[in-house]
Amino acid sequence: MNARMETFRYDDAIVRKFMVATFVWGFVGMLVGLLIALQLAQPGLNLPPFLTFGRLRPLHTNAVIFAFAGNAFFCGAYYSTQRLLKARMFSDLLSAIHFWGWQLIIVCAALTLPLGFTQAKEYAELEWPIDILIALVWVVFAVNFFGTIARRRERHLYVAIWFYIASIVTVAILHIFNNLSIPVGPLKSYSIYAGAQDAFMQWWYGHNAVAFFLTTPFLGLMYYFMPKAAERPVFSYRLSILHFWTLVFLYIWAGPHHLHYTALPEWASTLGMLFSVMLWMPSWGGGVNGLLTLRGAWHKVVDDPILKFFVVAVTAYMMATFEGPMLSVKSVNALAHYTDWIIAHVHTGALGWNGFLTFGMIYWLMPRLFQTELYSKKLAETHFWFATFGMILYAAAIYSAGLTQGLMWRAFDATGRLQFPDFIETTMRLIPMYWVRALGGTLYLIGMVLFGWNLLMTWRRRPATLEDPMAQAPPLEPLHAAAPARGGFLGLGWHRRWEGLPLTFTVWTVVAVVVASLFEILPTFLIRNNIPTIASVRPWTPLELAGRDLYIREGCFNCHSQMIRPFRWETERYAEYSKPGESVYDHPFLWGSRRIGPDLAREGGRYNDLWHVRHMENPRGVNPRSIMPPYPGLLAQPIAFSGIQRRVDAMAMLGVPYGDAIHRAEDMARAQAKQVADEIVAEGGPAHLEDKEIVALVAYLQRLGTDIKVPPVAAVAAAPAPGSAPAPTAEGGR
Amino acid sequence: MHGLSDIMSHAGLSGYAEVALVLFLLAFLVIVLRVYAPSRRREMDEMARKPLEDGTSPSGPGARP
Repeated sequence: MNARMETFRYDDAIVRKFMVATFVWGFVGMLVGLLIALQLAQPGLNLPPFLTFGRLRPLHTNAVIFAFAGNAFFCGAYYSTQRLLKARMFSDLLSAIHFWGWQLIIVCAALTLPLGFTQAKEYAELEWPIDILIALVWVVFAVNFFGTIARRRERHLYVAIWFYIASIVTVAILHIFNNLSIPVGPLKSYSIYAGAQDAFMQWWYGHNAVAFFLTTPFLGLMYYFMPKAAERPVFSYRLSILHFWTLVFLYIWAGPHHLHYTALPEWASTLGMLFSVMLWMPSWGGGVNGLLTLRGAWHKVVDDPILKFFVVAVTAYMMATFEGPMLSVKSVNALAHYTDWIIAHVHTGALGWNGFLTFGMIYWLMPRLFQTELYSKKLAETHFWFATFGMILYAAAIYSAGLTQGLMWRAFDATGRLQFPDFIETTMRLIPMYWVRALGGTLYLIGMVLFGWNLLMTWRRRPATLEDPMAQAPPLEPLHAAAPARGGFLGLGWHRRWEGLPLTFTVWTVVAVVVASLFEILPTFLIRNNIPTIASVRPWTPLELAGRDLYIREGCFNCHSQMIRPFRWETERYAEYSKPGESVYDHPFLWGSRRIGPDLAREGGRYNDLWHVRHMENPRGVNPRSIMPPYPGLLAQPIAFSGIQRRVDAMAMLGVPYGDAIHRAEDMARAQAKQVADEIVAEGGPAHLEDKEIVALVAYLQRLGTDIKVPPVAAVAAAPAPGSAPAPTAEGGR
Repeated sequence: MHGLSDIMSHAGLSGYAEVALVLFLLAFLVIVLRVYAPSRRREMDEMARKPLEDGTSPSGPGARP
C-alpha cells in the first residue's frame, strides 16, 4: 500500500464558465420557444423572411438541447469527473477550446438557422461546416475526458463516469453517420441517404440524440449530484449498473417507433416498438433508484429547493419514460403521431427532467463554485414554484391539444364521412390551448429570470480571488497490485479488472451500440425488397429540385408532413397512402413529424398554380383562419438558376437517374419556369414571375405525390432514358 | 451497392434481428447474475460512497476548500 499523498487542485473556473453559458443559452432558447408558441396562437407575429415559425422552431430546439442542456451536461461533468477521478482535467487548454468551440457552434447555429440554412433533419439541422466543427470540438472534449481518466487517482470508475463515457462515444457515432452528406455550396448539402433509408437513419439519430444527449448524460449527473445534495449514497449501486447496461443495450433499437405506419418496413417498426416497451424497466428502475436515494431525507425536501428540483426532475423522467414506450405502441401512436401530444411528451422530458435537474444541480454548485453563501434560498424556492406551475400549464394545455386534434382528424360522422373535412377546423380548436401554453412558458421563463438573478447576485458576493479547491489523494497503484483477482465465474476477477479498465469498458459500450445499430439498419439498406421501387416515380426536374430546396430553406417540413398513413381517416382526407418507393430520390427525406398544417404528400394538382401564389404571398388572404406565416419575398426574389446545375450534378452523384439534365439543368429549369409563369398569367395572376422563387416552389408543390397516378407504361416511355432499366412496379410495400 | 444488395437479399437474413434479440437477452442475464452476486456486496457499497469522498474537506453549503 502506497501511503504517499499527492496534492492537486480541481479546475473550477471551467465549471463556472459552463454554468454561466447554461443560463445564458437556456434563457435565449426558452425565449425563442415562447416566441414560436405565440406565433402559433397569433400568426401576425411571424416576421418574414428571418423570423418565421419554420426557421425559428429549429433554433429553439437546437438552443435548448445543444446549448442549454449541452452546457449543463458539460458543467456538471467537468465538476463531477474531476472529483470522482481525483484528478484535475487533463488539459486546461483543451477545456478552454471545448468551452469556446461549443459557444462558437451555438452562435453559428443562431445565425444560420434564421437565415434558412438547414439540412432539414430534426436536431441535425446545422449545415456541413458546422457539423465538422461539432465533430472537432467533440473530439477535443473526448480527449480531455479520457485523458483525465488516464491520469486518475481512483481505480474504479463510479457509474456516473460510465454514463458520461457512453454519451460521449455514442453521440460521436450518431452525429457522424446521420450527417453524411454531399456539399453543394458553402452552407448547403444533400444527405447521402434517400427516402425511407434517410428517415431510418434520421430517427436512429433523433431518438438516440434524446437518449445519449438528454438522458444518459443527465442520469450521470443524477447519480452524482443527488447523493451529494441528499448527503447519502445512491439507494442501490447494483440497480444503477443494471440501469446503465439495459439503457445502452435497449435504447439504440428504439428509433423506428418515430416512423410507425409510414413507408418503413413493418418488421423494423415492430422491432422498435418492442424495444421501446422494454425500456420501461430500466427507466423506472433508475427513477426509483434516484428517488429512494432520498430515503430518510424526505423531511429535508420540505425546506431545500435543491432537493425539490431533483424530486420533480426524477418524477418527470419517470413520467416521460412511461409515456415514451406507451407512445411507441402502434395503436397509441396512430392517434398521437403528428399531433401536439408528442410536443407535450418532449416538454415533460425537457422542462421537467433536463430543466429541473439542471436547476437543482446549479443551485447546489453556485455557493461551492463562488465560495460563498447562495444569494437567496427564497428566490430559488420561488423559481421552483414558477417553473412547476409553468410546466403544469404547458403540459395540461398541450396534452389536451394533442388529444383533441388527433381525435378530430379521425372522427367520422353517421354517414361515414369525415366529421371535420376542413383541416383548419381542427387547428382553430387548438388556439385557446396555444394561449395557455404560452402562459405556461412565460411562467417558466420568469423562473429562469429569477435563476439568473440569483446567479448574478451570488457571483457578486464571491471572495476577491476564487482559488481552485485543493484536494489530496494517493496516486494510483499499478494495476496488478490492486484488488487481487478471485476465482470462479461469479467472483469474476477478470470482470473487476475490465471494469477498472476504461478502454475495455468503452469498447464494450461501443460494441453494444454498434451491433444493435447494424442489426437494425443494415437490412433496410441492403435487402432490396424492403423498399419496392415504383416505375412511374421519376426524379424531380431541375426546377422542382430548386423549389424543394426553397421548401427546405423555409422549414415547411416543420409544420407539414409528406407521409400519408394507411388509415381510412387519412386516405379520405389526403388520398392514397404514401409508399416507400415514392421517396427513393428524396435527399433528404421530408416526411415530417408534426402536422400543424395539413399533409402535403399528395398536394400536386389539388389547387391551381395561382392559388399557391396567392396562398404563399398571404395565406390569410386565401383562408382568413390560416395560421401559416406569409412569404411575400418568394414573389420578389430571383431564382438562383446558375446554382441549379451543381445541385443536379450532386444528386446524380448520389445515384439519382437524372439522364439528360446533367448536361442542361439550367436550360430545363428556365423552360419549365416559363411554362409555370405562363400558366399563372393564364389563370389571371401577376405577370413576370418566370425568374422568381415562387415559380420553383409552385412547380415542386404541383408535382408532389402525382407520379404514382401516371400509368407505368406511359412513364417508362416518357422517361429520359436513365442508365439502368427501371425495376418492375410493386404497388404497396405493406 | 447493387451486387451487395443482391447478396444480402438472397442470404435469408430477415430473421437475424430475432437472433440478436436472444443474444442481447443472454448478455443481460449475465450482467444481472454478476451484479447481484452476494460476494460483491462490499464492493458495491464502497462504490456507492464514491461521490461523497472527493479528497477535499467535508462539504456543506458554502464550504470552502
